[in-house]
Amino acid sequence: MFCFQCEQTRRTEAGSGCTGPKGVCGKDEVTADLQDLLIYQLKGIGQYRTRLGALGRPDREADSIVLFDLFATLTNVNFDHNRFVALIAEAAKVRDRLRAAYEAACLAAGKTPELLNGPASFVPADTLPGLLAQAGAHGVGAGVEKVGADVVGLRGLLLFGLKGTAAYTHHAQVFGVMPDAVTDGIAHALDFLAGDPTDLNVMLDEALALGHCNFAAMEALDAANTGTFGTPAPTPVRITPIAGKAILVSGHDLRDLGAILEATKDTGINVYTHGELLPAHGYPKLRAHPHLAGNFGGAWQNQHNDFAAFPGPIVMTSNCMIEPQPTYRNRMFTSGPAGWPGLRHIDSGDFRLVVKAAHALPGFAASEPERTIAAGFGHHAVLGVADKVVEAVKSGALSHFFLIGGCDGATPGRNYYTEFAEAVPKDSMILTLGCAKYRFHEQEFGTVAGLPRLLDCGQCNDAYSALVIAKALAEAFKCGVNELPLSLIISWFEQKAVAVFLSLLALGVRNVRLGPTLPAFLTPALLDVLIQRFGVLPITTADADLKAALQRQAA
Amino acid sequence: MANITLLTRDGARFEFPCAQSDYILDAAAAANLYLPAICHEGTCGACHAHVGQGHFALGQIGDGMLADGPSGGVLLCRCRPESDLVIDVPYPQADVHHQQIPRREATIVSLKPAGSSDMEVTLALTPDPALGTAADFTPGQYMEVWIPGTTICRAYSMANLPNWDGQLEFVIRLHKGGAFSTYLAERARPGDHLRVRGPLGRFMLDETSARPRCLIGGGCGLGPILSMLRHLADLQDTQPTTLIFAANREDELFDTKAIRELQSALPKLTVMITVWHPQGSWSGLTGTAADAFAATLDKAVELPDVYVCGPPALLESVKAVAKARGLSPERIFTEQVQPG
Repeated sequence: MFCFQCEQTRRTEAGSGCTGPKGVCGKDEVTADLQDLLIYQLKGIGQYRTRLGALGRPDREADSIVLFDLFATLTNVNFDHNRFVALIAEAAKVRDRLRAAYEAACLAAGKTPELLNGPASFVPADTLPGLLAQAGAHGVGAGVEKVGADVVGLRGLLLFGLKGTAAYTHHAQVFGVMPDAVTDGIAHALDFLAGDPTDLNVMLDEALALGHCNFAAMEALDAANTGTFGTPAPTPVRITPIAGKAILVSGHDLRDLGAILEATKDTGINVYTHGELLPAHGYPKLRAHPHLAGNFGGAWQNQHNDFAAFPGPIVMTSNCMIEPQPTYRNRMFTSGPAGWPGLRHIDSGDFRLVVKAAHALPGFAASEPERTIAAGFGHHAVLGVADKVVEAVKSGALSHFFLIGGCDGATPGRNYYTEFAEAVPKDSMILTLGCAKYRFHEQEFGTVAGLPRLLDCGQCNDAYSALVIAKALAEAFKCGVNELPLSLIISWFEQKAVAVFLSLLALGVRNVRLGPTLPAFLTPALLDVLIQRFGVLPITTADADLKAALQRQAA
Repeated sequence: MANITLLTRDGARFEFPCAQSDYILDAAAAANLYLPAICHEGTCGACHAHVGQGHFALGQIGDGMLADGPSGGVLLCRCRPESDLVIDVPYPQADVHHQQIPRREATIVSLKPAGSSDMEVTLALTPDPALGTAADFTPGQYMEVWIPGTTICRAYSMANLPNWDGQLEFVIRLHKGGAFSTYLAERARPGDHLRVRGPLGRFMLDETSARPRCLIGGGCGLGPILSMLRHLADLQDTQPTTLIFAANREDELFDTKAIRELQSALPKLTVMITVWHPQGSWSGLTGTAADAFAATLDKAVELPDVYVCGPPALLESVKAVAKARGLSPERIFTEQVQPG
């Protein structure tokens, strides 16, 4: 096992990266190795899919499988080695189908099919020990002794960004939205990685192309979410429980949340969101369910205590999952790409068993006094008051925007984000997205120029909203995004944040402050490129960074 | 009042007061620390620990329970402090529960013979406002069950799956003269109310392991093994698994239909039913669980994780085979059937 895809990866003097028998996230060696092998196969699928696309014969079924499989390998999504054995067998069949389709398409077009090597011709073993023996040669660190850490690191940046893009696209795809431009881009990136690239400049260009592709994926997801559940609008979200039976839904999947709300209609069961599903409350068609009762608990890393304290079933629809504790294992379910050995998995969208569990479990005995927080400030809501915002900036009442977004995590250095938010001047506005906000969102930030000082744009994919807002403001002020009084303070943990980061670079957004620690796959040389070429800034202290951000604006 | 310091295997530290007249296990419970324990009367050994510092007095303890008594070995359910104590316990922090193990009421739903020597007992938990209706346990775990109107309790493993309907199924060996056996054989009727406490126990599948599995049930020890297999079937498990069901005589076999159903749900399940002393025209495997286990290991490409539940002699014989074949003791999970 070697894995360095997330922020919490093991860092020692000897080097960075998780090695066997278990990673920091809890992923064991067998699962990690099988994930590596699956990724290798997906590159082979990418090889054929790219060529089929060029012949005008894309394969949307294969595209969906690639999205799902890439998503399953994200941090804190799926820890079930059995599942990966099945996915590997399925991927081999998909690849064979694409190969046959490619050869037939070439024949029909009077062309000679390319003879593809590497992942395109890989045959997985039919036993688990056989697969594990094969996996060793195809890990994320493969070839480092030959090509060096910079090349392996940049391949990592591409692959991890690709995983994030695939996750967003999967969320859109479940609503039937899957733009060809995005799946073509994903297939292209897989095909590119299949060739074991070594040219750093070419790889950087590919990373930027992927950043554009991810922006399109986030745009598609925004369209899918708003198309299905309406345009998010600001709304108070209750964060204290109500007496009665209860279901907790975690992860990112709005479709599963919608299905659970339908399944619990008129049953007397209250549905609570957790973690990255908090922004769901902003969507009118989800909010219309009176039993969408509130949000329960804090960010993902506190789930052991939050889930143990929740008196009903818990559904984990994607990341971030950590090892379920015995006290709530039996009442925890996974859906979609998520999985843990021994947990019941719901693939069909049929949540009747969860409803049954909710009836059988005690629920909340009493209501706690109501407390709320605000959510639902997507780009529509913010741009709806754009006139006021522009006027406030021009009058000097509103001096600066801080986007504090990304993931939360357990490392002590993440206090930085709380300190930063607390120290932001009173005449500035804070936009949040992702679960980093759980560090400070219950605090009272008051108003600025008659607008709330803290606006939550939503899930991490709603970085799209934040970028739309930034672009619109830039247009209003007739300047570039980088000339706006806007600072981006990005906290990363897993691969979706990598994808968002690549989108920011691709769109030319400079001076992004990245923390709490820098990715282990970014070597000093790669980091230097990012600093020189894109103005990326590692975080220092909240005080110093805030001062620098405000001075930049003054300058 | 003495101060008790408990040090867990993984280095966690718990402190609580204990009067010199109190047992340490009870004092821990009074401090909302529920330590692994079953019998609470010095006979099962589940609360075995080691006093590193201090003086103590031991109450009555079953014969042979404390081979390490001279070097500080104690059973916490029978140990009273005579000074402050520092005690090493052999389990990790996660095994120290902070909430009371639920005590529930239950009703007998049905009593059916299971082979010639066992009884299949089904209970329904009484809905409880604080606990709901669910039968929440991990396959392999057990409940303590009290004989109505007495303070006599026995521990029995569930044979069914955890469920939201509150059903608990047990396979119980009827021992001549045994208190619970006598109750079941002579007085128990559907509708009887019983007190139960649980779930308890650490006999559980290591589902993160990718090794093949060998599950061995001797007699009514098949109960928790069936629960585990039903769980694997429910999750459409794909790991190679061998079930060994061993009985003394063929008329003691039970649940063979359920085993056949499991075989169709688990394509990688191999079933070996073995009878030690066949009485009639038994044409199946002959021999002990350990014999069948040895035969399984002879054919194994990869050494399995072993889960075994049965009487003490069966556990020992299986462990001896495992040791002889070089299986790591960490990969052998055992549960002893308690006499009833």
